[in-house]
Amino acid sequence: MKTRNFFPWMVIAILFAGGTAARSQEAAPAADATRTVPVTTQSTVAAKAYEMGLVQREDRLFVDEGLEFFRQAVKADPQFALGHAALGYFTADPKEAKEESALAVKYIANAAPDEQLLIHWMNDTKNGETVEAISAMNDLLAKYPTDKRLANMAAEWLCANQGAFEHGEAVLVRLLKYDPQYYPATNNLAYCYALSGQAQLAPPLMDQYVAALPNEPNPQDSYGEIMRMLGDYPAALEHYNNALKINPKFNASQVGVASTYALMGDETKARAQYLVAIKGTKERSTQVNYRILWAMTYYRENKPRLAREAFEKVDTEAHAAGLTVQEAEIHRAMALFNPDAASALKDLDDAREDLSDTRKSNLLPGDRDNELALILQARAFIAVNAGKIDAAQATLKLLENMAQTNRSTPVQEAYHSANGAVLFAQGDYAGAIAELQEDPYNPLSLQLLSAAQTKAGHAADARKTLETLAAISDERVETAFAAPPARLALKHDATRPVQGGAN
Amino acid sequence: MGTSAMRNRLLIICVLVLSVASVAFGTDYAIVVNPANPLRALSLVELGKIFKAKTTIWPDGKGITLVLREPNSPATKFILEKVLGGTFDEEKAVLSDPGRKNAVPVVFAESDEEVMRIVGGNAGAVGVIDVYNITGGVKVIKIDDKQPFDPGYVLKGR
Repeated sequence: MKTRNFFPWMVIAILFAGGTAARSQEAAPAADATRTVPVTTQSTVAAKAYEMGLVQREDRLFVDEGLEFFRQAVKADPQFALGHAALGYFTADPKEAKEESALAVKYIANAAPDEQLLIHWMNDTKNGETVEAISAMNDLLAKYPTDKRLANMAAEWLCANQGAFEHGEAVLVRLLKYDPQYYPATNNLAYCYALSGQAQLAPPLMDQYVAALPNEPNPQDSYGEIMRMLGDYPAALEHYNNALKINPKFNASQVGVASTYALMGDETKARAQYLVAIKGTKERSTQVNYRILWAMTYYRENKPRLAREAFEKVDTEAHAAGLTVQEAEIHRAMALFNPDAASALKDLDDAREDLSDTRKSNLLPGDRDNELALILQARAFIAVNAGKIDAAQATLKLLENMAQTNRSTPVQEAYHSANGAVLFAQGDYAGAIAELQEDPYNPLSLQLLSAAQTKAGHAADARKTLETLAAISDERVETAFAAPPARLALKHDATRPVQGGAN
Repeated sequence: MGTSAMRNRLLIICVLVLSVASVAFGTDYAIVVNPANPLRALSLVELGKIFKAKTTIWPDGKGITLVLREPNSPATKFILEKVLGGTFDEEKAVLSDPGRKNAVPVVFAESDEEVMRIVGGNAGAVGVIDVYNITGGVKVIKIDDKQPFDPGYVLKGR
């Protein structure tokens, strides 16, 4: 893999020259040294590996390859603070994230002052210290206005994690004004526009991105993803397959093909394609993530027994690999689709115990709390649906305690949503509507919101909410649970509340 | 972003945004002071007294200057209604009352950057900005013991 990609790396490195250039303390300062955030390491090998990590992860969006370079960087210099921070920031493995973030803090004194600020930003975004993260990010953007990777990374965080689309777009527009040929920013701007309700602006940017880099797979992959978001599955498949023609090992497109088939209802094809994607990655956490998607196809085609068996197998794999978040996600999926409420609540309690036990947990507190909040949210919904109000209120109390001390958006949204569910059960539909609207991206909340709006006599709002829910076509377990019934209800021209479940 | 680690989060948001005709996004507003100001927190009531010029000096004796965006900006409209509790027109009149000129002067800025520049250069200034614009040049203070993004933060915009 690495040998195969060597030449493209060089081409891309030249193409995107001007990014956050890594330089070791041994190397002579470059002429444009003040234009990018400093990178301090005692090892030239580490500096080069860090740079290549950025090329792969930020410029080419080759995630696995980028992570591998960051790992090489910290192996070459175990006291390379920014290398540890980058690995902790980008990895999808919660255990690795926790360990690397801690190492970044341990060795932060080795880094230059502005580099320390970048490390703080990376860690603060993960730890829910959002105000501090924003302050660090803006100081860096002001000081390094031509650091393209810095701006691109900041904009991605603003749009994808914070929903601060206007701010993300402003950063990207400014960056593209400085360098119209920095195509990773074109890619991100297309997503930001799509996210901020300006979807019509995304395809022209995708055309531009594809035309500029005809031999790169990511432009086609992104185009596929945008078209899938728009619900145009044939076009999505065409673009994903174009990406795979360019690079058959571009695994994001492989899983894109699989998920598109899953959303189209062709679960047999989806499973076959997921298996190809699983073989295509060496990242253990990614393999388990894809395996979860594979298992979900059985629920999608309403085969609960096979689905549960499949999830139990994946749970064993996740447990063996120490992937606690994935274990929790597996239990959440099984609970949502479990027709026996008591058994479903037990599924969730098992997951909660794993996450709550700090002796067992190898997670960053932020990652643990985000997943724990989702578990508790699902628990509150299942309890409400089963008429177990006491259990729902007890769960809400736990979420409330978390929300008092944790500022992360997922925790806050989960709390408001669960509160909405309890208010719904108590017949306070106006209160429920206000709370459920605080969690506008969650299919469970949308499902109950539609029901609450119906109960409150707001039939038009209820239908609009149902249409929003029905139009969701993503890979989440909550979507697989709540979106199909919404589509069915709309098909039957019903605005009444619907019960979840695969069909 | 097609293959980013944030892919799922992005997709989640995107699909929903695409599926509704228009979406309004809110932001939290941050109350900022000069970093030299030892103050760490205010209650909403205390902030209201500053806006009404009933409190004119900080505990260390420095005179207070209020820095806001233009009177008709969405940010100022939101803040006046939240902090003072009345209608926008009523509260705007509070700020333009000639009697307060020497008590708590009000400076209107054209941008959040200008608000921060003024606050950063004036030890007694207190300003209001979109939390996503904060920098290390100002200090964010808590309101009712909560800072932006905290649950129940009172200056959460819609």
